[in-house]
Amino acid sequence: MSHDYSKLIDELSRGHRSRAILSKILEVCGDSVLDLSRRNIVIKIVIKANCLRTALENIYKEHDLYLRTIAASDERSREGLFKLYYVFGIDSEGTNLVFEVPVAEGVKVDTISDLFRASDWYELEAHDLLGIEFNGRQMSRLVLPEDWPENLYPLRKEVSVEELKKMYQPQLISRVSELGVEEVVRIPVGPYHPALHEPEYFELYVRGEKVVDARYVGFMVHRGIEKLAESMKYDQVPFLAERICGICGFVHSTSYVQAVEDALGIEVPERAHFIRSIVLEVERIHSHLLWLGVALHLLGYDTGFMHAWRIREKVMVLAELLTGSRKTYGIDLVGGVKKDIDKDKIPRIKETLNVLRKEFKELVDVAMSVPQVKARLTGTGVLPRGEARAYSLVGPTVRGSGLARDVRKDYTYAAYHYVSFKVPVYTEGDNLARTLVRVDEVFESISIIEQLVDMMPGGPIKAERWEPQPMRLGIGAVEAPRGEVVHVVLTDLYGPYRWRVRAPTYQNLQAVPIMLKGVDLADAPLTIASIDPCFSCTDRAVIINLGSGSVKTLPIEVISRRVRGNG
Amino acid sequence: MSDGGKPDLTMSEFVLNKLEEVFTKLKRSVWLFHLNTGSCNGCDIEVLDVLTPYFDVERFGIKLVGSPRHADLILLTGPVTIKTIGKVVRAIKAMPRPRLVLALGSCGVGGGIWFNTYATLGGYPQLEKILKDAGVEVDRVVYVPGCPVRPEAIIYGVAVLLGLLQPKSKHRRVSAVEG
Amino acid sequence: MVKFLKMLSISVREGTATRKYPFESPLVTPEFRGKIEIDPVKCVGCGACTRICPPKALTIGNEGDEIVLKYFEGRCIFCGMCAYVCPQKAITVSKEFELATWELGDLYDEIVHTTVKCRICGKPFTTVKFVKEVEKRIDNKVPEDLLTVCPECRKKLTARKIGSKVVGVSGE
Repeated sequence: MSHDYSKLIDELSRGHRSRAILSKILEVCGDSVLDLSRRNIVIKIVIKANCLRTALENIYKEHDLYLRTIAASDERSREGLFKLYYVFGIDSEGTNLVFEVPVAEGVKVDTISDLFRASDWYELEAHDLLGIEFNGRQMSRLVLPEDWPENLYPLRKEVSVEELKKMYQPQLISRVSELGVEEVVRIPVGPYHPALHEPEYFELYVRGEKVVDARYVGFMVHRGIEKLAESMKYDQVPFLAERICGICGFVHSTSYVQAVEDALGIEVPERAHFIRSIVLEVERIHSHLLWLGVALHLLGYDTGFMHAWRIREKVMVLAELLTGSRKTYGIDLVGGVKKDIDKDKIPRIKETLNVLRKEFKELVDVAMSVPQVKARLTGTGVLPRGEARAYSLVGPTVRGSGLARDVRKDYTYAAYHYVSFKVPVYTEGDNLARTLVRVDEVFESISIIEQLVDMMPGGPIKAERWEPQPMRLGIGAVEAPRGEVVHVVLTDLYGPYRWRVRAPTYQNLQAVPIMLKGVDLADAPLTIASIDPCFSCTDRAVIINLGSGSVKTLPIEVISRRVRGNG
Repeated sequence: MSDGGKPDLTMSEFVLNKLEEVFTKLKRSVWLFHLNTGSCNGCDIEVLDVLTPYFDVERFGIKLVGSPRHADLILLTGPVTIKTIGKVVRAIKAMPRPRLVLALGSCGVGGGIWFNTYATLGGYPQLEKILKDAGVEVDRVVYVPGCPVRPEAIIYGVAVLLGLLQPKSKHRRVSAVEG
Repeated sequence: MVKFLKMLSISVREGTATRKYPFESPLVTPEFRGKIEIDPVKCVGCGACTRICPPKALTIGNEGDEIVLKYFEGRCIFCGMCAYVCPQKAITVSKEFELATWELGDLYDEIVHTTVKCRICGKPFTTVKFVKEVEKRIDNKVPEDLLTVCPECRKKLTARKIGSKVVGVSGE
């Protein structure tokens, strides 16, 4: 590499932030940078593993980066080594910064989990699934079951699914519960707690009535998606992606097709962008209404729950009219969509939205005036802004703490640059702030759909033809109801070579212990629910073993009674 | 249209008799327990939908209970991930006899899109083998396809299970004829 | 303070929202994707649907002297991709969703095709209808080898033909 980097930096930067960052990196790591390139909004830096940490140490504090995801990939058949892709975002510019780090087999990479706390789980996952070792940190099993054999890494290319099934036979593991100790009592919430409708397990450490710490042990929904996609074709994967999560499924399938379209440079017709945006917003409304119902139920206000879901039913019927199914819509294909929105459906859309707007406003007014609702939401589960930034959190969780981060504005995609809308931000950081963010987002979504429907262009709904190329990197990001979803795709001839899914709950869950400190036990389920956890999104990567530790089991009804209040 | 694989009369009579025998023991409406074995939550929110005003299954006296010990019927969603097997078997074992299971969705019936991954068993039919080995007997199973299952399909499935409606699906085997 | 009692007036205005299914017909929009129906007259047994089906609910395979296309409703995800790719438009998506049953075997629909056997090894390798459809679509005469020889034997034939031209080895 020549030493006059200034011209190169000028070419590649997209603004003064990226310019400053690139200059710094080249200054401290000059010779270890193997390649520097940019395609659209992605700046790719191929850097040697031994200088990665130095480079990040110099930029993490001064420049407002946030970690989006880390993808590890087995490229030994192509280039003889593993690769780690660190994807960072620079919000103020809308630039993606990707560090591509080649890692030979057996080489250990320096950890960055003290600089970017969000990287903790990513590094553990890279180790569990691919066997990449990290220096300077504690390793533990994150995703695979307790009795998973050593040195068996599912995502390595030489291991087939049949082999994995043969080498691991699931056993009926029974946990022995013992009585807890000391003045700290552990109360497990889950799995199969009736309030949390998904199998997950929180250990709440309480002193009296106040929660002092919490631990999340989950990943029970690991189904081996990423390995499965490697045996599928390009157009089959959107259906798989949609079933990562039944509530925000369309977001995942759109994010995947956007990543492939980004990697291969496919031109998607404008009409397809509009259709995708409309369906995305419909999904956002349904998800927020669902969340509101569940939150009201946890607060003990079941009437609100029933009315919220009654209103939500109209959205489900609208979704069925537009896409053909109440959920898991199945209309995304690489290059466009497979179902059009006919002109005669537009009056129905507008009518439904008007009714929705009116009824939702009524519901919120009434629900907020119920004394127990507002009192229990205010001041509980506070997430300070500094922590939100340090943990690289996303979504309404962080917009309730004053950080205006929204993929629709920062890294705009689909048809969002045609419409005008606000991103609601509240600064208090408590449960009420996060509730109000979601309420406002519903009204914004209704307005967005109305604008889109009026402006829809004609034309085809799918790209005519496109050619797959091997080993291209693509990044697709979409704002899900819960936050930002990022997919990283490495292409191959018939299907994806490597597909990395990062759902927002994966990132947000790491902040739950902070929010739960000092909270009353009765408010704990609501605080957990306020990040709108979607455990199936989180658990799609790996199977986790239940941690060890003696646990005192209390009857779940005891906690429920405390939670419900006078429900 | 050629017919193959249709259960013969004695078989369906036997089935109906068993059903009657099972249900004379039930003196009240069925109580449900919802068991999520690692599903994407699509079927689970439709199960919740069945309890909300639009479909309101409580008008039949059916309600959701918080513990399998109070339940007659388990709504099973998900392809049974290897992480949840122990808990699922224990939950089904905790049910008192007669044990009824409604396997919901394409995941529950045949493993769905996950039928061939290393981290799932592949739905209720595979779980049945493990249950037999563990000595847990299930008296009746009804399979409800769908992805996700419509709330109406769940109500239909419960009605079929209780013997109120006859199933419409029949095995068909036809020859591809010339046009 | 008493504003929350307004909920009562909302409830009164809405009335009973319940759809009295199964005593009333279900609210299904015209777009709804339910179970698929395969027309045995139009289906030629090409297998395109089985290659796109994400959960492999549609499978095609040899059963003795016949080739059978099987549709397992239990694993179907109702995506409609099979109808989207079928070159003969033999698959239609119905609105049927009342599929519950206790007999797993009842959820299978099968279409049986008569086959063409390889003239060299005798294995049935494609369906009679598929061969007829290919002949219909291609105006020029299709080489006889493609219609009567299975892929494995065809590979050997081609190799021998090339080999005989190169090294003068006498072939078929």
